[in-house]
Order: sequence, then C-alpha cells, then structure tokens
Amino acid sequence: MNNEMMKKHFLIPVSQNNTKSLPGDLAMWVFIVMELTVFAIFFIAFAVAQRVNENMFALGRESLDLSVGLFCTLFLIVSSYFVALSVKAIKSEDNLLAKRLLIYSLVLASFYLILKLSEYSSLAEQGFDLSFNSFYTLYFLITGFHFMHVLMGMVILAYMGKQANKGKYSANNCSGFEAGASYWHMIDLLWVIIFFLVYVIH
Amino acid sequence: MSFTDLIGDIVKLYLNNEHSALVLLILLTLASTLLSLLDQQIMSVTFIVTLTVIIKGQQIVDIFMEFHQAPSKWRYLLLSYVILVPLILAIIIYS
Repeated sequence: MNNEMMKKHFLIPVSQNNTKSLPGDLAMWVFIVMELTVFAIFFIAFAVAQRVNENMFALGRESLDLSVGLFCTLFLIVSSYFVALSVKAIKSEDNLLAKRLLIYSLVLASFYLILKLSEYSSLAEQGFDLSFNSFYTLYFLITGFHFMHVLMGMVILAYMGKQANKGKYSANNCSGFEAGASYWHMIDLLWVIIFFLVYVIH
Repeated sequence: MSFTDLIGDIVKLYLNNEHSALVLLILLTLASTLLSLLDQQIMSVTFIVTLTVIIKGQQIVDIFMEFHQAPSKWRYLLLSYVILVPLILAIIIYS
C-alpha cells in the first residue's frame, strides 16, 4: 500500500495545517453558543423546579423509560461519531465515503426520532401532556425543543450528503461541511446533558 | 513525508481519535445508566455521574468537534460550558 492509499484508508487529512483555526464558520459558532445558552437556561429552570417540587419530579421521572433515554443517547453518540469520521473523509478528499457515513448517521438519527416519538405517544396515552404539571411542561419543552433541533440537523446532514455526492467538498473547501458537522455535535452534546438531567440524576 | 512520519500519524490518530472517544462515550453512558438504577443516590455516586457527563462533554468538544486544535479562547469557552453546566445542575439539585 503506498503512502497516498494509506492516508486515504486511515482518513489522514491530505493537507495538514498546524495553525489553530475554528472548525467551520465563525457565524455558526456564534449561533451554537447562543443555542447552548438558551438550553442552559432551560436546564437550570428544570433543576430549580426539581429542587422545589422533589416529589412531583420523582413521580414524573418514574413514568419515563430509562432504556429509551439510554438508546437515544447511544444512537446520537454513534451518529455523531459517523459525522466526525465524515469530516475526516472530506479532508482526505473522499466525498463518497463522507456521503455513506452521513447516511449511517441519518439512519441512527431516525431511530432516535422513532424512540422519542414512541415515548411521547406512551406518555400521551397515560394522560400526561404539556399542561399536566411542571415536570411534564419542562420535560416536553426541553426534549421537544431538542427534537426540533435533531430534525433541523438531519436536514443539514442530508444537504451535506447531497453536496458530497456531487463532489462539492475538498480538503481546502470544507468549511460549510465542518459547520454542519459542528451543529450536529452540538445536538449530541445537548442530549448528553438532557439524559443526565432528565433520566439519570434523582 | 517519510514512512515513519506516516506511521507516527497513524499511531497519533488511533490513540487520540474518534474510535477511542466513541468507546469511552458508550462506556460512560452505560456506567451512568447503571448508577442511576440505585434507589438512593449518595453524594459520591452523584459526583461520579456528574463527572461522567463532564468527561463525555470534553470528548465531544475536543475529539468530535476537533476543538483540541481550535483557538484557546473558543476551546475554553466550550469546555467551561460542559464543566460548569452539569456542576451547577448537580449543585442545585443536591445542595
């Protein structure tokens, strides 16, 4: 195997740039920081409400299925992993591999959506809705808002895959790809905290 | 680039890369899920669970988002988020 083939096989970027630079666009990072701030406010609201209504939140948490939260986390983590690999594939000038990795990522994100919808449906059947009590108001608000971000992220990933299929990205022209990937990682990061806050600690 | 440089790159890539980050993230998720099954979460368990979230956040920021090679200010901004937010949440709930 020659050097170029090995580079491609191990997803080593074609051009190694040692200068420190922000992955993607600055505008996307400003947007991501704003999104993270909004979610941080929701998280703190949830924690404060839990502190005030401990019994209500304990009962609310009992109605949630921990395994749903676990599998949602695993799906998003592995999905994020494929997106991270797709960025490396683009930097190795392999658009088709990047497209395939994005498809895997989208499939896993779809599993997340199905699981989350099944949980919403199960809660609705039990009579728990947005107005039932503070726990469900905050639960549906936080996870619903995150759900919409996942949908938005999937549209972005699908667009990136379409562009990759046309061979539009290269090692020197991947800023848009990196920006989309960063948005997806933000979604993963937020879910890690949501899983911790809503399903794990009690 | 010589062959030894290439081998060095591969070793570097596989020691500090997405694959090991994925394994760590999955293991930490499973560990925190198991700890959440305990009926009463004592302080040390809470601390460990919070620590798992912080480590997971750090892995996503540094490895998946590739912030280990980003400008320091941005890296510290993101890392402070993944450290402070879980800590604040744990303090509010358990204080």
